[in-house]
Amino acid sequence: MVKYVTLVLVVVLLIVAGLLPVLAMLAQSIIADGRLSLDAYATVLRSRNQWALLWHSIALSSLTTVMATAIGMPLGVLLGKTDLPFRRAFLVLFTIPLLIPPYIMAVAWFHVLGRGKLVARLCGDAVAAVTSDLLFGLPGCVLVLSSVFMPVVMLLTMAFLKTVNPRLEEAGRNMTGWWGVLKGITVPLILPGVLLSALLTFLLTLGEFGVPHYLRFNVYPAETFSQFSAFYDFRAATAGAMPLAAITLAALVVERTCLRRRTYEIQLASQAGEILSVPLGRFRGLCLLLVTMLCLLVVILPLLILLAAASSLGAYWQALTQAGDSLVRSLLYAGTAASILTIVGFFAGYLIHYQALPFWLTIDSLTIFLFALPSTVIGVGLILLWNRPATNFIYATPIVIMCGLLAQYCAITSRITASTLTEIPASMDEAAQMVGAGWVRRVACITAPLAKKGLLAGWVVAFIFCLRDMGISMMVYPPGLDTLPVRTFTLMANGPTDLIAALCMIMVLGALTPLGILALVFKGSRFRA
Amino acid sequence: MKSITFESISKQYNKRPVVRDFSLDVGEGERLVIFGPSGCGKTTILRLAAGLVMPDRGRIFIGERLVAAEGRNIVSPEGRQVGMVFQDLALWPHLTVRGNVEFGLKVQGVSSSQRRQRIADMLRLVQMDSRMDAKPAQLSGGEQQRVALARALVLQPQVLLMDEPLSSLDYELSVALRQEILRLHHEIGFTLLYVTHDREEAAQIGNRVVVLRHGMVVKR
Repeated sequence: MVKYVTLVLVVVLLIVAGLLPVLAMLAQSIIADGRLSLDAYATVLRSRNQWALLWHSIALSSLTTVMATAIGMPLGVLLGKTDLPFRRAFLVLFTIPLLIPPYIMAVAWFHVLGRGKLVARLCGDAVAAVTSDLLFGLPGCVLVLSSVFMPVVMLLTMAFLKTVNPRLEEAGRNMTGWWGVLKGITVPLILPGVLLSALLTFLLTLGEFGVPHYLRFNVYPAETFSQFSAFYDFRAATAGAMPLAAITLAALVVERTCLRRRTYEIQLASQAGEILSVPLGRFRGLCLLLVTMLCLLVVILPLLILLAAASSLGAYWQALTQAGDSLVRSLLYAGTAASILTIVGFFAGYLIHYQALPFWLTIDSLTIFLFALPSTVIGVGLILLWNRPATNFIYATPIVIMCGLLAQYCAITSRITASTLTEIPASMDEAAQMVGAGWVRRVACITAPLAKKGLLAGWVVAFIFCLRDMGISMMVYPPGLDTLPVRTFTLMANGPTDLIAALCMIMVLGALTPLGILALVFKGSRFRA
Repeated sequence: MKSITFESISKQYNKRPVVRDFSLDVGEGERLVIFGPSGCGKTTILRLAAGLVMPDRGRIFIGERLVAAEGRNIVSPEGRQVGMVFQDLALWPHLTVRGNVEFGLKVQGVSSSQRRQRIADMLRLVQMDSRMDAKPAQLSGGEQQRVALARALVLQPQVLLMDEPLSSLDYELSVALRQEILRLHHEIGFTLLYVTHDREEAAQIGNRVVVLRHGMVVKR
């Protein structure tokens, strides 16, 4: 009984935090003066500007997806399947852009390609004028967002490679070389997983508005944001947000109907992480050179240039005096939200893994839908739902941010928990049941301690995503209670470049420190074992 | 000691019948072995007795008590007071030997002084008293086996269920541990329902052997 009450409470929490705001938004968009009306949609559909923005968004998302997949998949195979040297170091380096607010990479690239910046100093103003023009537009957005979301494809490719049954590859090795096996067996087997990562990249790019805003490329989410923040037109903002929600929902249906079963079949055939390594042989040096150059170009160079731009201590001092309170709030909000997400995600993951309630698949789909949904859409929904006198204790306090972060990022902790639980034999829980332990004690004394590494990893990943979040916080932060990404973003309009660079480096440090601590904890526990 | 009675039990997984109209009486203090090839449904019968799965049809009694009937568990697994040794032993890796054996006693609210005494007695009985503070990963296969037995027996169950507990051990160790199980049965006294696919093991452990094939008893 306690089990069902707990799990139902978690479901209710997810519905209140994530689903109700979306439903409130849908209701708002179809009701005018107390009557059913589709006028707002008609206005949206008639607007040439809206269609142009939607086209911009789809073009940006498609190009970014193609680029991120074209680079991320081979890179994932190289790092996850071969004997390439320094694989772990490359893995960490290539993942950094995903862990920091995307607009930081845009700022970093501005310091490389912008007028009067690195390229101008190295190649002259004429070349810099061209690179700057390219940066501020579609090509620049594709470049920045590809480097930001490429790790999604890379990491998922590596994860799916671990699920390929090595016996299938060994059977192929009897007939052909490794290249033939990769081409004919391994890659086709992980293709559904790669397509899934491409779909995720498409949706994440579709919802991103910080980078396009900074690089002055108008996209659809920015329209939703400006309708709300500049014109305060709720009906236009909600009607404008609905196409993004519809695209997300359609993508989720594609995932559920076409990809999910195939990726699940691969997982069933897994051999507990056993993986055959492909020897690169005489191509090892060439591959190392190419990967090093790519890493230097898309990760190290922009971040080093950003670091150089913020090299004076004065800039950091100014950053801390101007945004120190925002930094403290960011850390506090991210820590609190990560803790809530870890607890809620644990029970949601438990519910999904054990299929403990009849509607477990719906809950799984809901968390994925909310994760893929653009943050501007969730933000508008939260405002519509909670901005009323009776619920001011939510709307006018950081609770509203917590609700948004819970809705957007619960998929991360629930998926990490569900994945961790698959590694714990069912007999562990059953053995505790056989000695008389009830559900609460079994969860507290057996399941949670056995899943502690997954829970810790979930907390850190949630912390990083909450810390880097700008979309939700930007939309709903109560007056005077902004976060560091929001403060940095607003200062970017007219703040000095060294101050912005310093703020960005503080954000990078804030995101990477917990990851470093986690790596040390895992390394320590491995040595003890 | 209590008896176990299965009355016309049937169980399906994904519409595939695993156990079909299975009836069996295991007498008080008896050592009954269910023997059969992989996939014949013997583990399912053990899990039905434990309450970890529910029968689609039929009834299960432990002693005089009806514990499961027609698609529902009347008594939950934790309420059946049945000990179980799993095929993979299921020792909790984050707990020491002492912690593994103590967990059930804590659940039952046994006082700490009594717990200490019973853990010491039980670990002495299975000859593991010198490894109390070791974690499962630091034990050999045979030692892990003894701890799993101690964990199940420390609660003084009336019935002990063992699911191919020696299948992962080498032959010599397996033979030695069969003797241990018989000794413990003699010294403590419990009804034993034992599952194996090893003919020699079945003959040595059981004072009665039931042969199962395709979820049905083919020989008693």
